Formats: sequence, C-alpha cells, structure tokens
Amino acid sequence: MNLYLIQVLNGLGIGMIYFLIAVGLSVIFGIMNFVNFAHGAFYLLGAYLCYAIAAATDSFWLALAVGPLAIGALAWAAETRFLCRLYRVEHMYQILVTLGLALVIQELVVLIWGPIGTHVSAPALFRGVLSYGDFAYPKYRLFVIGFSAVLALTLWLLLERTRYGAILRAGTESTEMVSLLGIDIFRLFSLTFALGAYLAGLAGVLAAPIRGAEPFMGPEALTIAFVVVVIGGMGSFAGALAGGLLVGVVQSVMSSLWSEGANVMIYVAMALVILLRPRGLFGRT
Amino acid sequence: MKLSRRKFVKDAAAGAMLVGGAPAMLGRALAAEKVKLCSLYPLSGAFAGVGKPGDVGAHLAMQALAKDYGLDIDYVSIDSEGNPGRGVAKVLAEIQQSGTKFFAGAILSSVALAVGAEVHKSGGVFFTAVGADEVTGANCNRSMFRWSVPTYGAIQETVVPLIAMFPDAKRWYTITPKYVFGDSLLRNAVDVFKEKGIEHVGNSYHSLSETEFSGYLTNAAAAKPDVLLLLNFGSQSTNTLRQAADFGMKNKIKIVMVWAAGLEQYQEIGTDVLDGVYVGCQYDVTIDSPGNKKIVELFKRDANRIPSYASVGGYICADLIMRGMKAAGSAEPAAVIKALEGMKYEGPTGNEEIQAFDHQCVKNYYLLKGKPAAQKKSSDDYVEIVSFGKSFLTQAQSLCKMA
Amino acid sequence: MLRRLLPAPAMLASIAAVVVLPLILPSVAMATEVVVFIIATLGCNLLLGYVGLLSFGQAISFGVGAYACGLALIHLHIGVWGGLFAALICSIIAGLVVGALSIQKRGIYFVMLTFAFSQMFYFIAYAMAEVTGGDNGLLNVPRPPLTVFGVTLLSLGTPLSMYCLAAIVFLVLFVFLHRLVASPFGSTLIAIRENEERAIAVGYNTRIFKIIAFVISSWVTGMAGALYALFLNFAPLSNIDVSMSERIIIMTIVGGTNSLFGSVLGATFYVVVGNLLASVWPRWLLVLGIILIVVAGYLRGGLWSGVEWTWQRLRARWPVAGAVEQREDRGGA
Repeated sequence: MNLYLIQVLNGLGIGMIYFLIAVGLSVIFGIMNFVNFAHGAFYLLGAYLCYAIAAATDSFWLALAVGPLAIGALAWAAETRFLCRLYRVEHMYQILVTLGLALVIQELVVLIWGPIGTHVSAPALFRGVLSYGDFAYPKYRLFVIGFSAVLALTLWLLLERTRYGAILRAGTESTEMVSLLGIDIFRLFSLTFALGAYLAGLAGVLAAPIRGAEPFMGPEALTIAFVVVVIGGMGSFAGALAGGLLVGVVQSVMSSLWSEGANVMIYVAMALVILLRPRGLFGRT
Repeated sequence: MKLSRRKFVKDAAAGAMLVGGAPAMLGRALAAEKVKLCSLYPLSGAFAGVGKPGDVGAHLAMQALAKDYGLDIDYVSIDSEGNPGRGVAKVLAEIQQSGTKFFAGAILSSVALAVGAEVHKSGGVFFTAVGADEVTGANCNRSMFRWSVPTYGAIQETVVPLIAMFPDAKRWYTITPKYVFGDSLLRNAVDVFKEKGIEHVGNSYHSLSETEFSGYLTNAAAAKPDVLLLLNFGSQSTNTLRQAADFGMKNKIKIVMVWAAGLEQYQEIGTDVLDGVYVGCQYDVTIDSPGNKKIVELFKRDANRIPSYASVGGYICADLIMRGMKAAGSAEPAAVIKALEGMKYEGPTGNEEIQAFDHQCVKNYYLLKGKPAAQKKSSDDYVEIVSFGKSFLTQAQSLCKMA
Repeated sequence: MLRRLLPAPAMLASIAAVVVLPLILPSVAMATEVVVFIIATLGCNLLLGYVGLLSFGQAISFGVGAYACGLALIHLHIGVWGGLFAALICSIIAGLVVGALSIQKRGIYFVMLTFAFSQMFYFIAYAMAEVTGGDNGLLNVPRPPLTVFGVTLLSLGTPLSMYCLAAIVFLVLFVFLHRLVASPFGSTLIAIRENEERAIAVGYNTRIFKIIAFVISSWVTGMAGALYALFLNFAPLSNIDVSMSERIIIMTIVGGTNSLFGSVLGATFYVVVGNLLASVWPRWLLVLGIILIVVAGYLRGGLWSGVEWTWQRLRARWPVAGAVEQREDRGGA
C-alpha cells in the first residue's frame, strides 16, 4: 500500500505541473480560438530563466518570482506585436507561426546556454527528504504540490471572484458578447495570452529542479498540455486541473504496472476522449 | 501563338539547365585530389550536446595529426540532425557528390548501422564509437569499425568489480530503457547476476522519451535493493540519478550508471548528485597512458579544452582512419581496411588493438566513482578511476560473421 | 487523346522540374530525397489544400509505407513492384482505419485525434522491434532491379536509375492527383472545405468523401515512404515520428496549399535550403523558424503564390493570348 501511496504522491506532483502548463493553453484556446504551438517554449524558457537567475543570484525564490513574469511580458510583447494578427486565420497558419516561434526560442536558448542540459538545485529550504519511519519523500516535490495547490486556489479565486475572471469566463463562452458589452477584447486577449505564458513559465521554473533544464524540453510539455486540455476539456479551469492530476497519477501508477506503456496510454485516453466525449471532463459542448 | 508559352517554358528550362547545371557538373568533374574524411555528427537537434564535441575532436585530430602522418586530408563535417533518415540521405549525397570514402562518427546507433551499410555498399571505411552490439555483431561488415566497448564489456567491467568490492550487496534492481540497446545491457547484466549468485530483485522498463522516473524509483525502493543498476543513458540516466538523489536513495542504496557519457554528463549532473555514485565510461581524462597524455596535451593547446569521451571518441575515430591510411601507404579503402585489421596502437586507454574478425577495438572500459566536492582538484574533476579492464566476446561467441 | 493528358503549365513545369533537379542539385541523392518528399507533400496537400483537413497522421502513412515496402522486400522477396504494392495495401488500410475514426470529429479535434493516432502508431512500431527493428530501424532493405516479365526496366543500382523510379512515380501520381482535383470529386472536396454544412445540405455524404480523400492522401504518402525505404535501403523509426508529420506539413504550407505544384516548391525548398543552411550553421533551425513565421504571417499562399504573382507580372508585360490560357483556367492549376 505504501508503494501506491507514493505513486499517487508522485502523480500529484507531476500532475500539478501538468495542470500549470495546460491551464494556460486551455484558456488561450478556449477564449481566443488560438492554437499555440509555442506553449512548450514558454515552459522551456521558464526552466532556463530559473537556472540563469538562480546561478546569478543564488536564489531560487527570486527565479520563481521574476522568471515567469519576464516570460509573461515577453508573451505580451509577442502577442501585441504580431500574434494578434492571426486570430482570424485558419488554424494551420497559427500552428505554423507558433511552431516557428518555438523553434526560434529553442535555438536562441541553445545559442545562449549551449546544447547540453544544466542542473538546477532545489531551494535550500526544501532540499532533502521528509522521513516518517519507512516512508521518505523529497521535500521539494511536496513543496511543488503545496505551492501549486495554493496557486490553483488563487487562480480559481481570480476566475470566480474578480472582474477580470468574470470577463475571462464570459469570454470562453462568447467573445462577441463580451466585446459587444464594451470590453476591450484585444486587451483581454493580450492579458490572457500573457497569463497563459506566465503559468507555463512557472511550470518550467518548478520543474527545473526535478528534471533539469535542457533545450529540447519544449515539445514534451506541449504534447502533455494538449493531452491534458483534451481530456479535461478546452477552455475549462477545472478540466485542466482534473485532467492534469488524472494524467499525472495514471502515468505514475502505470509505471508500476506496465512501465513501457505508460506513455502511450495517455494518447489512447486522448483519442478515446475525443471520440466518445469530445468536450472532455469539464468542457462545454 | 498557341505554342509560344509552351515554347517559352521549354526554352527557359533549357536555359536554366545550362546556367544552373553547368557549375554543378563542372564541380563534380573537378573531384578533389586530397583525401576526403567526412565526419557525421548531430550538430542540431536533440543530440547536439554530444554531437558537437565529437565533431570538434575529429577536426582536431585531422588538424594535428594529418601532417605527421604525411597525409593531405580534406575534412568535411555533416550534420546528421539526430535523425537517421537525414543522416543517411546526407551520407549518400556526400558519396555521390564527392566520392568520399572515409567516414567517422555517429552518435545514434541507428545512424551508425544504416550508414555502415551504405558505406559498405560504396566500398568505403566507416569508423564509429556508438554502443549498439550489432555494429560489430550481427550487422558487422568489412567497412565498419568500432572503437567503443559494446555492452558485454561495459557490464563486465562495471558489475563484476562491484560485486567483488561489495560481497554483501546481493540484491540488485535494474532500470532499463525498453529498446534493443537497453535489452542488450540487461541481458548481459542478468547473465552476470546468474553467474555470481546475485538476486535480481526487479527491473523497470521505460520508454525512450521518459523524463519522470519517480514511479520507477519508487518501485525500485519498494524492492529494497542493495544496488540500483541504471542501464539507461544520456539525459535519461541524468534524470534518473537526479531523482534518485532527490528521494534520498543514495544514502541507503549504491547507485551504478553503466553507460555514462563522460564529462559533459558529469557537468550536467553536478557534483552533489554525482558524489558516491559509480559510473562506467569508455574514457576519462585522468587515464594514465602515453596515448592519453598526448591527447590531453593536444586538447589543451587547442583553446584549452578538456577531453571528454564525446570529443575523444571523435578524435580517435578520425585518428585511426588516418593511421590506417598511413600504414597502408595509400588511400584505397581495401588497403586501409587490411592495414587496420589486427593493428596494434597506442590509444587513449593504453595499448589497444583492432580485432580482425569483427573490427572491434580491444580497449579498457572504466569503472569510476563520483568525488565529493572537498576532493575535487579542479572544477571539472568529477570522478576518479576505480578499476578498468578489457572484456570482449571471443570469436566463437560473437554474432559477427564477416566474409 | 494526348491533348487531354497534356498538361497545363503547372504540369509542364513539374516535368521540367523533375528533369532539371538532378542536374542543378549537387547530387542525384539529394534530388531523389527531394522527389520523395514532393510526393509526401502532395499527399498532405490533397488533404490540407483541397479538403481543408490538417492531419498529423502523415507520418503514419509515410512510416507504414516504408515498413511495408521494406519488409516485403526483405522477407517476401517479391521485387520492387511487390514492395510498392505492399506499401499501397498497407497505407490504404492504415488510412482507412485512422481516417474513418478521425473524420468523425472536425476542426481542432480532428487535428488532435490524428496527433494521438500518430503517437500510437509510433509506439506500435517501436514496440514491435522484432519486426520493424525498433529504434535501430529496418536495416538492409534490398533494392532489386525493376523488371517486367523478366525484362529489366530499371536496374536501380545506380543513383540515377533510383531517381528515375522516384521521378516516374511522382509524375504518375501528379497526373492522377491533378485530374482528381479537376474532376467533380475534386470540386466536391473543395466544396466541403469551403462550407461543409452547405455540402451536406445539398445532399453529399461528406463523410465518405473525406474518408476517401484521407485514404488517397495516405496512399500517396505511403508511396513516398516506400520510395524512401528503397532510396536509403533503410526504414528508420523516425519515419513514423510526429516530427515527420510536422516536417511534411511545413513543406506543404510553405509551398502553398492553393495548388498541387506548390508541393513541388515546398518540398524542394525545405530539403535544399535545409541542407544548405545545416551545412553552414548548426543553428539553422532558427532560420527555419523565422521563415515559418514570415510565410504564415505574410505569405499565406506560400511559395506558389509568389510564383503566381511573378507569373502575373510577366504575363502583364508580355501578353500571350490563346487557347492555352483557357485550358489553364479551367484546370485550376
């Protein structure tokens, strides 16, 4: 039983990171109908900014605070400068542009930091394991679970209790209505895109001490994000959370049961969800 | 009037042929008189981290040694992009375009095997340092040579000494990437376990794209092993090791990484995590041999580099091809191959020899241990040699049946 | 009769391209690689340009075609025709299975579904290592001569004869696709792309049309895969990887989805410029990324629209009247 408990904990930890990556993509697609293939690149940048800031200032907390903000700002700039022109075009051009952007970011990372991955230490406060008899679990992973839970709660409050949140939720139902109500839809889009990028960058910062930072980690985050968004439901916050945790826990438990298949299971699940219940767990039809 | 556009297009096509084709045709006519040595490494894409040092090493060998050997070498570098299809297509193009006969390199076994087959067809020579057994095993051919020690030797020189060092460590758990190379390592390890009476308490397979090992490590910890044997490599072994350290497994369990990539990987892992971990590697900068001293000196002179397995792998493959040419006294592939077979030479790991029956270099494989920060003599001094030796399958045991 | 087959300028240009490529490019091998990817891009273009379906499943058909051809040649010893036929059968079956399931959804769900299937096929190829060679790939695919009733048509031993095979397959498929899109079937596909609801309202069973288009696209891409296996004597796992789908999609969009000839431009551009850039700068992907951004942002018709624009300019300067124009307009090159 101990084994499965730890597997579930593992799954929650990864699942929370999946949630952070996916929720941005989900909201971006839900509101803006924009397929963002550069989402993984924001995650990548998050991990590298964590490395760079932590190396320069010896403070993980500073990296956590500043890194994602920088990425959010970068995303805001990209969106207002040229991505906004692509909202009305077909998905294939959106995919092409964001794929191109992802490639550019990836190669810039290699140019600046080299092609070999780097190692990021967990913050001193959370190094080591929490022991309880036979049970030992890394403190940092527990921190990730706790911190992400708090973050999820904050996001939920943002969505449910603030004006911006209300506009955002309305926007996932109909952007036309929102703009007819006199709200600047373009500001909304920019903010949303920046928020999505911020969260993906945050996921990268949190993931860096667990799996290091290496230049080709973008595509894996993107793939997971799509799977979680599909399973959870596009445009849904609860969906991203439930989907992320579900995928994380299933992957973890599978590694005890059928380890080689853990990866393909999520794609089978993704296909089944699309075929049988396209709106996912919590999405709207 | 009706035909004018068709005529126009035809004339334009003819004109384009003349203008565009002429330089290409002329270029091919003036084939290079120097001997071309082509190195094939992933310089872009996911494996660029190990590809670039390989290319640097090969280039360095050519620059430093060609004149000493009395050779005039034209060095060409191909980017395999870490993609076997592209790598092989580019090699084909190079063979057709320039008639290149000598190739060195490859990081991915799939690239090496396919390129080896192509080079064999075109009657050239290919020297590689990849890991897959098949290169000097089931898929061996007269054109392909391999410097690095395959899975049998890697396991023999890491697992066997450790069993001797820690006779009480009877329970071993393995983590294996589910594919041909991983299975080879596992098979060899299981054979040793049987022979030495080790209890193989479990194995976790994982896919090649896995980055999250907490599940497998939890499984491993539950089996209460004395030793955790990592049979994966590259960024996967880095992540497994890192996460094992996160889980505090280093305190209770000995961790062994059989197939380490060398200095670049140690830098990525970091001293704290690498401390006390046993790794197996094809090469280390601290090897005490005249061959290695020369290499360290050469690398130092060139931009103060520290040689690593990745760069020395590239260096030695290019070097051996050139030695073959020198010994044969010609740049004819058949003569070079004959000269290389059975050649004994002073290599990075000491005295090395190229076996004639499978074109495998007989060299040492090293068991090293990660040093704690206090014992590091310099920032790049991550490991110390614990033991080393040569272990290879005999001709009777080998799967290689060359004509 | 020949006049019916006689091509509009785009067809002529493709014949010209196929003749010129091995002469202009530095090696025949590169030209063969280009033609293989032109064919794969044509398959994608049919689906993307004419039906409006963006599928990440191109790698499935490409990989299945390569494996089928390779395995047939290695184990069944049935010659090149047999290999191509095996690729045909297998890629059609794969296209049917994936298509029938994926067509049920539209828009982004269709895209995601094909993406999921692509990953699943990758896993199957990887797991069936005894058959496909797994990560090592399918090695030593033979390339026997192309014979008909004992008469050797192409020895396939030299690079040029391999190229000829690829070029002939390309031309045959190009004529086929050209006539297909010019036919009522093609017009229906375009109608479905423009407004599927209306097409349904008018009475078309759009599902069947889409599945057929998917299967044809899969077949064409599978042929490309088979030729690739013959060309490399090797069928790597990377053929069936999602990044191969990405590459093909990039070639299709960059070349231009408004015309079949765009595929010729896109594949040629990607392979040649990619090779050129890679030999100059290891960070060539950066340049590729910028090219993608520019094309998607500013040149949505792809390279083909650039060619069309130039052609219009030239025609304005040197007016050429005649029946040839009328045939071109109707053919919808």
